[in-house]
Amino acid sequence: MELDFFLQQLITGLSNGMIIALIAIGYTMVYGIIELINFAHGDLFMLGSFLALTILGALGIDAWTGGSTWFGVLLLLFCSAVFCAGLNWTIERVAYRPLRASGKLSLLVSAIGASFILVNLGLFWGGLPMEVFAGGVAAAAPKDFPPLVPNTNLLGEDSLVQVTPKDLLVVGVTLPLMVGLTWIVTRTRLGKAMRATAQNPIAARLMGIDTDRVIGATFLLGGALGGFASVIYALYNNTISFQMGYRAGMDAFTAAVLGGIGSMPGAVAGALVIGLVRAMSDGYLETRWTNTIVFGILVLILIFRPSGLLGSRAKEKV
Amino acid sequence: MTTLSTIVAACVSLVIAASSSAQNGTIKIVSSLPRTGSANAQTGTIVNGIKMAIAEVGGKIDGYEIAYEDWDDASPQRGNWDPTVEAQNANKAVTDATIVGYIGTFNSGAAKISMPELNRAGLVMISPANTYSGLTKPGLGEANEPAIYRPSGKISYFRVVPTDDLQGAVAAEFVAASGAKRVFVLHDRELYGKGIAEVFERRAKELGMDVVAVEGIDTKAANYKSLAQKVKFSKSDAAFFGGTTQTNAGQVAKDLRSAGFAGMLVVPDGCCEEAFIQAAGAKNLEGNTFVTFGGLPPAQLTGRGAQFRDGYRKMYNADPEAYAVYGYECGRVLLDAIRRAATKDRAGVLQAVAQTKDFDGALGTWSFDANGDTTNRVMSINAVKDGKFVFVKRAGDTAVEGAGKVSAGGSVAPADAQAR
Amino acid sequence: MRPRMNPILIFFAVAAALPMFFGATGLFYDAFQSIFVFALVGLGLNIITGFTGMLNLGMAAFMAIGAYAFAILTCDIYPFQVGFWSGLLLSGFIGALAGFLIGAPTLGLSGDYLAIVTMGFGEITLDVLKNLEAITKGTQGINPLPRPTIGGWTIELQDERSWYYLLLLILGVAVLFVRRLERSRTGRAWLSIREDALASQCMGIPPKRTRMIAFATGSAVAAVGGALFAALLSSTGEPNSYDFQVSILVLCIIIVGGMGSVAGTLVGAAVMVGMNAIVLVKLADLFGSREQGASSNVLASPNNWKFLIFGLALILVVRVKPEGLVPPRLEGESGAQPPAPPKSQSGAAAQGAGA
Repeated sequence: MELDFFLQQLITGLSNGMIIALIAIGYTMVYGIIELINFAHGDLFMLGSFLALTILGALGIDAWTGGSTWFGVLLLLFCSAVFCAGLNWTIERVAYRPLRASGKLSLLVSAIGASFILVNLGLFWGGLPMEVFAGGVAAAAPKDFPPLVPNTNLLGEDSLVQVTPKDLLVVGVTLPLMVGLTWIVTRTRLGKAMRATAQNPIAARLMGIDTDRVIGATFLLGGALGGFASVIYALYNNTISFQMGYRAGMDAFTAAVLGGIGSMPGAVAGALVIGLVRAMSDGYLETRWTNTIVFGILVLILIFRPSGLLGSRAKEKV
Repeated sequence: MTTLSTIVAACVSLVIAASSSAQNGTIKIVSSLPRTGSANAQTGTIVNGIKMAIAEVGGKIDGYEIAYEDWDDASPQRGNWDPTVEAQNANKAVTDATIVGYIGTFNSGAAKISMPELNRAGLVMISPANTYSGLTKPGLGEANEPAIYRPSGKISYFRVVPTDDLQGAVAAEFVAASGAKRVFVLHDRELYGKGIAEVFERRAKELGMDVVAVEGIDTKAANYKSLAQKVKFSKSDAAFFGGTTQTNAGQVAKDLRSAGFAGMLVVPDGCCEEAFIQAAGAKNLEGNTFVTFGGLPPAQLTGRGAQFRDGYRKMYNADPEAYAVYGYECGRVLLDAIRRAATKDRAGVLQAVAQTKDFDGALGTWSFDANGDTTNRVMSINAVKDGKFVFVKRAGDTAVEGAGKVSAGGSVAPADAQAR
Repeated sequence: MRPRMNPILIFFAVAAALPMFFGATGLFYDAFQSIFVFALVGLGLNIITGFTGMLNLGMAAFMAIGAYAFAILTCDIYPFQVGFWSGLLLSGFIGALAGFLIGAPTLGLSGDYLAIVTMGFGEITLDVLKNLEAITKGTQGINPLPRPTIGGWTIELQDERSWYYLLLLILGVAVLFVRRLERSRTGRAWLSIREDALASQCMGIPPKRTRMIAFATGSAVAAVGGALFAALLSSTGEPNSYDFQVSILVLCIIIVGGMGSVAGTLVGAAVMVGMNAIVLVKLADLFGSREQGASSNVLASPNNWKFLIFGLALILVVRVKPEGLVPPRLEGESGAQPPAPPKSQSGAAAQGAGA
């Protein structure tokens, strides 16, 4: 019984952590390349899930109907990823690029502004007169996301410990994405250009790298990840709300910092730590102190490892 | 007295109507509710209710034009009620002499800010949604409550909703009656949710139930799966969540069910809205989930209530939400007081509201007691079936005595809010 | 040479004269009281972020600490009851202490690592305020709070004009204080740390201690702002009144106003808070729907547009005036220079120039 409970919290924590990791990678990529805490990323992610729900509503899919549902899930992943990538790229073009020369904090305010706008768009979106949005009468209310992926217990209905297809989905989508992304960053020309731009934009430019394009591509990739994450999040939690970007963004940001900003494996490690700490704190301590514990651990880790878990030990660029 | 003033008012209006068709002027009513952000779903229905009450009298009383303004006490940064904005609204209302009634607030915390200010100005305030007991009832909140909200020594705050101490007890009694022995109490750590959960806990213990744990949730969390597992593993028969749709009640219900918790789940009236069903997913609420509500659901209303329901459908082309009737009732009781008021100014209207007795309202026939609370104690317990709220039973009429928590009310000591 | 007037003087002259031109309407005074309070908190953040270059995303926590310290020290349900002025001063000290405690272990962290620690501190503060009910009354809020008395004369809550001038006076004292600090040895140390920590360390300025003084001073100023915020409401409000959104608002104030500029902070507060308390309210009134049955359409309610308008305004302001509305160099004779963008950014700048 005790062991069952522990295993259960472990599974829940890992699944939650994986979802945070997907968002955190988007954060950390953008941070790594232009040192911007992209406040709008969480809200971008929110809009991705609204798109997914809209597509489901338009297609009239609201439950698991066997094999063809996998097709539906793939469609959602694809559409949301494309949408978020495009949106993220557009935001970069409109709100960030013109300010890149004027310092980090103006960029930050621009990101905050973009975040407000996206939140407001989410509110409007929730007011669409569609059945999945309850006819749009209560635009601000949280929306139920159909349980496309079933919640059946793969260990049998008698088992106290639950492992569901949802957990498998989270792992099954997140891991390949991480591997793929690591491949892009470490093995491709684009990845090389990204790393070069992150290291030293002037030098990168002198070497003939079109840094604007590279930064745009980074936003595309980060946005696409946000899109994937939004669908996974929605399928796992089954609720979306126009305000969900705040917490998702904060968790992801924390994960990115905890792991060492700019480091992708670090973001994943940080996210898993946060997911597990949350689950264990909820399970064994009091839920009301969970946030305090998460941030307490964050502070402790940073005191002993000032560049995060897997961050480079290098001093700040001087 | 009441009838006399009614007659006088009626005569006055007759004279005026006969003498000329000219206006006597404009009387303004305002409401201060969170209209930006997530609470908008409920406050929208409340505003609809108020507008409907005004439309029913043709926007005129005794030759006075009734103007209504829908104020927002939320700010975009907070996406929720903002104490600074609520204080501003109160000030704005106080300084505009044509305003004779202030309908609000939605959140009890907001009421704490504006109550003293409006009280000092003698401006009547009627709330469609505050349920925190300490706002009106001595002995249930802090030691200095409710006197601190009444610096003038007079009562100027009224509410048409039954308070937490009644509703929490009703919920506990309902759970006990189902035979549950072990109950897990959750709340959202906000004034409303936590207050009602505490009453529930107290009453549940009195009734001999074993309260396994009381947990305050993080309302912004993505999910409560780990907490839900804790509830399941605790072998509780029932769970109570003190909170609202905005504080993530839908997710709590959803995660409890998906964790495999099959026991009874009870939530309070902050969840008694379509948005809750929409957020939680109808399937997750089917069967063993119950919502308490201070009053009867629209479908169960009779008499005036039924008229309200049908009128609302006609006017807005939609079924009224549970909260709409509170807004409507606030509007009507205020308009009725304006009609009865000897003088159509703040003092007159305040006096008339305080004298409201045996009001033939949509929620039944009720009066304001000495604390400014409604005497209406009818509650209902509702379940969810096929994505709609269905009425289960009426409750509350008897629960009050059982709870033994309600003080007699009676006189209010004149408070010296200036002290220190 | 005096090419332009000192913007700080203009701000105070205009603020002092305003009540003479306007009637005693509630909205006007309320909005300005908020502006003054947030200007004060902004001054605190300006010391930390503007002068010393430490990004702080948890300023609301110090406001909360000030507000709750003030409330616990003065409210009649607690045994202290030290009165308004002592309460205000003590809340400043407690704010400094809190700044010291959070700063001591973390100020060695660089840039955005510190930012997240401060953000985390904001979240922790909210949780602690909510959870330690025995001390803070949880979500109840502590009320009522005392009125200020000056020589036997008590400023009542409804006496808006007196409050207006009182807050303006306190803000004026704070501005003098901050301006003096800025020009003092300490202040110059802050600026040099911001510009180049390594170089200033070589010149004998201890970076950690200098940062610590800035952090504690800024926290103290913000805590006094928080105490006044609560005093104005005569209540601490809920702990949620000091959430992350408030920190963000304060940050926007100093960036929009002009980082490192005292006058900029004042103007930033006037613009950001004024937009909230005056412009958006007026817009909502203007487009307020009085027609029946419109509320089911989300686009119809002007309130639903507030986030959008606010966000657009933020983006537009930094787009048009990226260095802020009143950059530090316009402030007069001050030796303060506009904060140099971080090194990697100057790279981007050069690149932009070359393009």
